Amino acid sequence: MTTLAERLRGVVGPAQAGPHGSETPDDRGGRLSASAEASAGPRRSAEREGGQPAHVDAVAETLGGEWRDVRGHRYLVVNRTYAPGYRHGHVAVMDALPPWPRFHLIAGAEAAALHAAHPRPLLFLDLETTGLAGGAGTYAFLIGLAWFDGAVFRTRQFFLSNYTAERALLEGAAGDAASAGAVVTYNGKSFDLPLIETRFVLHRMATPFGALPHVDMLHPARRLWRPDEEAVPGGCCLTMLEETLCGHRRDGDVPAFEIPSRYFQYVHTGDARPLAGVFEHNRLDLLALALITAHASQLLDEGPTAAQTAREALGLGRLYERAGMTVQASGCYTRALELPGEVPVKADALRSYAVLSRRARRFQDAAAAWRRVLELRRCPPAIAREAMEALAVHHEHRARDLREARRFALQSLQFNITVSRQRAVQHRLARLNRRLGAPIAMPLF
Amino acid sequence: MLPARRTDPAQDQALQAVLDRLTGGSPDRPDTPDAWVTAVRRLPACSAEYAPFPDALDERLRAVLVARGIAQLYTHQARAIEHALGRRNVVITTPTASGKTLCYNAPVLNAILRDPSTRALYLFPTKALAQDQLAGLHGMSDQLSTRNDTEISVSTYDGDTPQDARRAIRGRAHVVLSNPDMVHSGVLPHHPRWAKLFENLRYVVIDELHAYRGVFGSHLANVLRRLRRVCRHYGSNPVFICSSATIANPRELAESLVEQPFELVSESGAPRGEKFFLFVNPPVVNQQLGIRRSYLAETRRVASEFLKRRLQVIVFAQSRLATEILTTYLKDDFDGPPGTNEQIRGYRGGYLPQRRREIERGLREGSVRAVVSTNALELGIDIGALDISVMAGYPGTIAGTWQRAGRAGRRTARSAAVLVASSAPIDQFVVRNPSYFFDASPERALINPDNLHILVDHVKCAAFELPFGTSETYGRQDVQEVLAVLAESGFVHRAAGPGGSEGQWQWTNESYPADAVSLRSISSDNFVVVDTTHGADVIGETSFNSGPATLHEKAIYIVEGSLYQVERLDFEGRKACVRQIDCDYYTDAITYTKVTVLETFQTGSGIGDRGSGIGDPGSGGSGCSDPGSRIPDPGLRSHGEVHVSSRVVGFKKIKFYTNENVGSGELDLPEQQMHTTAFWLTVPRTVMGALPYASDDRRDGIVGLSFAMRHIAQLLLMCDRQDIGISIGSGELGDDPDMTRGGQPTTVSDEPRIFVYDNYPGGIGFSEPLFGMHAELLSRTRELIAGCDCMHGCPTCVGPVGNTGPLAKVVALRILDLILAGAAAFARSAPASLAGAERRREIPELQA
Repeated sequence: MTTLAERLRGVVGPAQAGPHGSETPDDRGGRLSASAEASAGPRRSAEREGGQPAHVDAVAETLGGEWRDVRGHRYLVVNRTYAPGYRHGHVAVMDALPPWPRFHLIAGAEAAALHAAHPRPLLFLDLETTGLAGGAGTYAFLIGLAWFDGAVFRTRQFFLSNYTAERALLEGAAGDAASAGAVVTYNGKSFDLPLIETRFVLHRMATPFGALPHVDMLHPARRLWRPDEEAVPGGCCLTMLEETLCGHRRDGDVPAFEIPSRYFQYVHTGDARPLAGVFEHNRLDLLALALITAHASQLLDEGPTAAQTAREALGLGRLYERAGMTVQASGCYTRALELPGEVPVKADALRSYAVLSRRARRFQDAAAAWRRVLELRRCPPAIAREAMEALAVHHEHRARDLREARRFALQSLQFNITVSRQRAVQHRLARLNRRLGAPIAMPLF
Repeated sequence: MLPARRTDPAQDQALQAVLDRLTGGSPDRPDTPDAWVTAVRRLPACSAEYAPFPDALDERLRAVLVARGIAQLYTHQARAIEHALGRRNVVITTPTASGKTLCYNAPVLNAILRDPSTRALYLFPTKALAQDQLAGLHGMSDQLSTRNDTEISVSTYDGDTPQDARRAIRGRAHVVLSNPDMVHSGVLPHHPRWAKLFENLRYVVIDELHAYRGVFGSHLANVLRRLRRVCRHYGSNPVFICSSATIANPRELAESLVEQPFELVSESGAPRGEKFFLFVNPPVVNQQLGIRRSYLAETRRVASEFLKRRLQVIVFAQSRLATEILTTYLKDDFDGPPGTNEQIRGYRGGYLPQRRREIERGLREGSVRAVVSTNALELGIDIGALDISVMAGYPGTIAGTWQRAGRAGRRTARSAAVLVASSAPIDQFVVRNPSYFFDASPERALINPDNLHILVDHVKCAAFELPFGTSETYGRQDVQEVLAVLAESGFVHRAAGPGGSEGQWQWTNESYPADAVSLRSISSDNFVVVDTTHGADVIGETSFNSGPATLHEKAIYIVEGSLYQVERLDFEGRKACVRQIDCDYYTDAITYTKVTVLETFQTGSGIGDRGSGIGDPGSGGSGCSDPGSRIPDPGLRSHGEVHVSSRVVGFKKIKFYTNENVGSGELDLPEQQMHTTAFWLTVPRTVMGALPYASDDRRDGIVGLSFAMRHIAQLLLMCDRQDIGISIGSGELGDDPDMTRGGQPTTVSDEPRIFVYDNYPGGIGFSEPLFGMHAELLSRTRELIAGCDCMHGCPTCVGPVGNTGPLAKVVALRILDLILAGAAAFARSAPASLAGAERRREIPELQA
């Protein structure tokens, strides 16, 4: 006679080793071999939890936190304070302190809401979760919050040490969010905020983040500091920015993919030591997020001269331009040409400068910029074509040099362009030829 | 309720003329099993029975119904709507085109009018059906919206829904039309995004309920358990409205799927014209081998008779290939020159939606005179009602046959349905025993939601969706024990509640478990078929269990009439590389199967008693018989848990059309093993001993008996051929004798057992019902063999002579007679108190 448990074990089979199978916590092999022991397995772990053994307090000690007790549900809160003199790489907390008068320009669409919320503090948020799969079974076991408080930077981490306390823990985090003016994340638009809102909905609670303006620093950071694709594959992650902007290199940081299994290991064994690194990782992410937000805001405050690279100047120009500050934007694009940077970035800066100049009716400036585009070696073809077209227009309508206009129009046809564009160019050429008195049937490439 | 078409006297005469021709002019004649037309039945016309709108129905809804020409309801609609309005679950089984959709649309729209926050979820077995229903529902909701200035939003939500439309649907749609697979993998795991729907879910509609049997039904039952769990979390408790084709146990099926009590509405109030039902059996062309004329040619002939007289015809074929062949035949016969309107159309899955809509419209408008379809048109796609339904081959179930026959049948005019039998055993049994079809109740749909494989998968999904409480229940198994075992593998963890209160099982895994569970199979493990003729295209897939038998090296793999040969089977990589070839044969794998009994759940001596639960797999069948007595031994029937190991050991090459065996090969493939449930018959020592035949002939008799039994079991269980497997053996551990001769035993023991096992790991619930239907299984098997025209056995009864030997038919019949006689004698001798009263009633029937 086989028992239900034995048949179930046959069905469930050995746990599939996940991508990080070595981390899988329990001693499955031993349990499966002896059936008597196997049935004792789950009971044993239940007793362990029921009896509140000693290591529960060791958790608080290991992670350096204190328990909060709400209606019998306990969760751990870990507070840290970073003094004004604390240095992260070459940046000290005191160098990054708000206020940042132009911070709201980062946010684009939400700039007005941000501006209105101004006196209330910014809340930095970063979650550590049980995976990336999404859905109701993916949850945040660690909610990291941080804010500047006077001259210090504070982090507060809410740790879900027992799953049944999730509701109480969310209430706690919501309490801190209530006083915030805005929330700042890194990639929170597509990950952290939807995930934590799902948890509030699942517990049928009002979400505190729904009404708050949200700044996802991923997008401005990409504008300002995205590395050259070929040089740094993988794009614009927080640790990379931390290195290039703050000069801080993490030592022994827990890789992100390992985090869920470390938490599961803690859940199954009660040993919190593997989590200490995860908590530190989360705090460093919060600190790095705050420092790069400060850095971006300071750039906006200081203006074009603050930019250190062509890419940064170009990105800064874009932020100004979006906010309608065209003088600063033009200044940034010019500055980009003086700073070290790749050809595509410079070409883009010239193009942006030319477009802004034309809009301001400074046609000669615009034409000069387009000419400089054509002088660049290895200029991206799309921008070169745009320059030729713009110069053709300029010479036809402004400079009234029809031959020069025809020369640029003919040149622009050498690029792969859409049929409708091609038709427009040929239309222009036909008109120019007519005005120049040249034979209509002149061969066009 | 569509406006009834006018009765056209010319059409009526045309129908009469064809019927006269086919039946020889006498519609009410006795059955003639050996004639070309074996049976004719006349189903009288029914007039409509109406009922007023229920009082609770909103005025605004009534006004729209009246505007659509529905001034009153049919009685079944009124009853169903009253149940639904009274918040009672209801299942409706009335014929095709009897206005079933109104039974659920009315209460749902009524509830939305009363409270605009109301939400409803409709489930259809296919995406196409949801699309079809969407069009109808849109009409109603638009009229309601414009008249009443309230927006009623109706939308499908399935794999084809664009990402950017999904958010709006989740928040705004009052009625969401979806399918179980989408609810399983896209809705339930993301229930917080659907909070608005789950908080306000008043109705869940399950259309085509009969489609949810076997594996799919067992999965759906679990999806619904999860759905109700999520609803409880959000504080809603929806009413279920189900509609089903005619099956024997609609209420039982609904109750086992939803696990709540149901009201049944089965008396249709819709009118129906007179209908004729004919069975046609193609004539025998080779008496010796029992070969009949091609049933496709016969179908063409029958359909032509009707088409010639300008009647609108639907032809149902059993496969895509047969569909294409018949379409070609009929186009040759009836379509005009190229460029003119196509009057004959094919219809099957795989056609583009736009083309399908065009054909459906042509059928409704009458410009398409005949459509040849697979079962794709059996479900409730709106094509209007046609004059004639012709079925090429028995659809496999009584319910399915009625469903297809129901495609012909106007409200007032006469119609006809014709079944053309193929030479398959089931077809032959049905056409030669018309009363089995016409008088018996249709099949029972069976599910087993507590199959451990299915259950464990869904417990994982449910734990992902919401943590289980440590005293929560789920299904009939002890879910706490399931969770404890899942905890051993790290999927969940038991988190203690504060101060020893109720704890929770938290999901401690990074995966998204619904992705690993396919509702249409037990295991998501499969083999893919890669065509390497030009590059590497995946052209098909097959389940893990059937992989070795269909994709072994040198196997011929057929897709839509194209032939491919397997060049390499990568068993570990789960793929087969095939190359297109041109040949005139196909392959049939020889599989050696061994069944070992692990645990006997129930054993009955003979047929008459109810059986007793004994857990003794080892003891033989002699326990109930006294060797000294003269009473023949009825044998033992049992069901229980078994271990099945099977290995493909070789294959045969079989020529198309003639079915000649033109070669063979040996194979060495890994053994496949599974635990499942089985029913088995133990043929008693006394019966085997009493057979006046040589041991080889006795073996042939057992093999032939099992061959026939398999088909009858399939018939009784309403299942597909691959759902069950059959094996002969002792059922005990240890090596059986050499079994490689065509996959069949070279010898059988003194007391052989015939196993009919569920061909799915864990079993799907066939074995226990089969145990209960043992008497019918044996008597029907005897009818099949005894009624067959062949001399020594053919593929229609005990299998082809070349496979089973010359005496198989005679010996099989003799064995059955001895067992049946033993059963009758046993019933006479046993005290009444031992034999179950209701079972005893079956015995006189057996003697007949």
